[in-house]
Amino acid sequence: MNRYNNIHILMYTFLAVILFSCKHGEGEYHNITDKIEAKSKNYHGTSISSEQYLEGIKTIKITEGAHTFLIPERKSEIKSYACTECHTKPLEELKSKDPSKKAHWDIKLAHADLNTMNCITCHNGNDMDNLTSLTGTSIDFNRSYKLCSQCHSKQFKDWKGGAHGKKLGGWAPPRASMTCVNCHNPHNPGFETRWPAGYNTQKVKERE
Amino acid sequence: MSDNTKKWFSLNLNSKKKQSTGSCGCGKTSGGCGSHTKDQISDKEFDAAVDAAIGDERKKDGFDQVFDVQMDRRTAFRKLTASLVIGAGAVSTSCNLTTGEETKEKAQIDWEEQFKGNYKLMTDDEKKATVDRLVRSYQLRKGENIDMSSKNAEKDVLFGYAFNISKCQGYMDCVSACVEENNQDRNSQMEYIRIHEMKDGKGLKFDEADDNYYHEVPAEGHFYMGTQCFHCDNPPCVEVCPVQATWREEDGLVVVDYDWCVGCRYCMAACPYDGRRFNWSTPEVPENEINKNQHYLGNRMRKKGVMEKCTFCVQRSRAGKNPACVEACPTGARIFGNLLDPESTIRWVLNNKKVFRLKEDLGTEPKFWYFMD
Repeated sequence: MNRYNNIHILMYTFLAVILFSCKHGEGEYHNITDKIEAKSKNYHGTSISSEQYLEGIKTIKITEGAHTFLIPERKSEIKSYACTECHTKPLEELKSKDPSKKAHWDIKLAHADLNTMNCITCHNGNDMDNLTSLTGTSIDFNRSYKLCSQCHSKQFKDWKGGAHGKKLGGWAPPRASMTCVNCHNPHNPGFETRWPAGYNTQKVKERE
Repeated sequence: MSDNTKKWFSLNLNSKKKQSTGSCGCGKTSGGCGSHTKDQISDKEFDAAVDAAIGDERKKDGFDQVFDVQMDRRTAFRKLTASLVIGAGAVSTSCNLTTGEETKEKAQIDWEEQFKGNYKLMTDDEKKATVDRLVRSYQLRKGENIDMSSKNAEKDVLFGYAFNISKCQGYMDCVSACVEENNQDRNSQMEYIRIHEMKDGKGLKFDEADDNYYHEVPAEGHFYMGTQCFHCDNPPCVEVCPVQATWREEDGLVVVDYDWCVGCRYCMAACPYDGRRFNWSTPEVPENEINKNQHYLGNRMRKKGVMEKCTFCVQRSRAGKNPACVEACPTGARIFGNLLDPESTIRWVLNNKKVFRLKEDLGTEPKFWYFMD
C-alpha cells in the first residue's frame, strides 16, 4: 500500500514538473489578440481626452453608419463661398462673350476622364451654393464626402472606419478625421511626386 | 535562493523558481491545471524570502538604495571609488566659501542624481523629485526652462500602431518630425524610423530594400514600408537587459531609463527589428531646436553611451496626442490608438483589414501592424 502511495506521489510530481516546464513566461494570455479581446471587454473609457488639440479647428459632427466623428467645417474655408455672391444670375447669362476672359481659369479638371466627369457631375448651375449628386440630389459643401463616396465606395468604407485618411487632434476621443477634400484637391485629386524630407549622409558613411 | 539578493536579471535555467504568483503554465489564474503549490514554496514563504532579501531596498530610494544594503568589502570599495569623483566635487564646492549658491545646488543635484534608484522602482513622489532635479539642473546649466513630465501609464490603455504600406509614399516627413520631436543627436543623424523602398513584386526583402534613398518619390514600381520600435508585448530586448534599465510599461510602451542604462547594447543585439539606437557620442542638439516638452522616459536629453529608441512619443501619447510621425504623415498611412478601446480606429483596422506583422513566428508580439488598402 505504502509503495503505491509513493508511486502516486512520484507520478504527481512528474506531472507537475511537466506542466510547469511548459511555462515560457508569456503571462496570462496566449497572444496579443487574446489579451486585447479579454482586456477590452470591460472598457469604460479613459480620462484622457484630445479635445484641447481640436481647439481652433471648426468641426462638424457626422454620423455615417455605426461611426460618429468630427470632420472640419468646409464652407468657411472656401475663399469664394458663397458662390451666389458672384453667381447672381443663371449660368447662361453670366457666361462671358469674350472667350479670353475666364472666371475659373485656375481650375483644370484632372479627375477621371471627360467621358465620366465634367463640372456638372458635382456642381449644379441652378444651385451654385450646393453640390449635386449623380441623381440630382443636393449635397451640402460641408458634407462633400457624400459626393466622393458615390464612386469611391471602398475608400469611403475605410475612411469611416479610420483606415483611410489623416486624423486630427490626437488618438484619444473625440475622434476627428480630415475629410476627403482636406487632402485631395477635388479637381486634381492625385498626389504629386516630390523629394523626401531629408537624406542621411552619416548613414552612408557608416555603411561604407 | 542565494541570488535573490541581486536586483538584476539572472539566468534561470532549469531551476524551479516562482515566476509570478497565481499564474501557471496553462495560463489560467485560478485552479484547473493540477497541483500548483505542492512542489513549490507557498506565496507567504516566497514573499517572506523576497522581503528578507530585497525588502528594504524596495522601499528605499536615493543613496539609501545604494548604501544601505549588505555587500562585501570589494563591492563597497568599488562603489565608493566610483562615487568619489562626484563626492569630492560636491564636498569641495560645498565647503568652499567662495563658490556661489548655484554651484552648491548643482553639486547637490549631481550627488542625488548619481545615487537615485531605478525609475521603474520609484514611487510617484520619487519620480517627481528626479524630474524636478533634472529640470532645475538644466536651468542651472543652460539658463533655459524645460517642461518634463513623469506621467505614468493610464489604466485601460494599450498603445498600438498600424501602417498602411499602400499609402506610404516615401516622403520621410515622419523621419524628420521624429528627429525634431525626440531631440535626437544631429551629429550622428540618428533616426528611429527607417523607410524601406521595396520593389513591387519582390515581396518584403529588407536586404534588397533601400532605406536611404534620395530621389523623387514615390518611385515607379516601388512601395514603401516604415520600421521603428514595434513595442513588442513580449520584448526580447527587455529580457536581455542585465540591469533592468528597459522594461514594458502598463500601456505597452517599451521604455529605457537613460540614467540606469550601462550601455552594454545587449538589447540592440536582441531586437529582431533593428529598433534600438546607441549614442556613440554625446548627443548634440542646437539649443533653439530642442523640444522642451519632455518626458523622463521619452525625449529628454540623453548622454553618451546609452541606448535609446522610439517611445511612441511617450510625452505626446500619454497626453492624448498622436506620436509626431503620425501627425507629420501627409498620406494618413500611419494610424495610432488605444487597442483596448473597441471604438478606436486602430481596432477597426485590426478587425477589418488584412493585417500582418513582421517576424510573427518569433512570438515577440509586436504591437505594430501593417496593412494594405
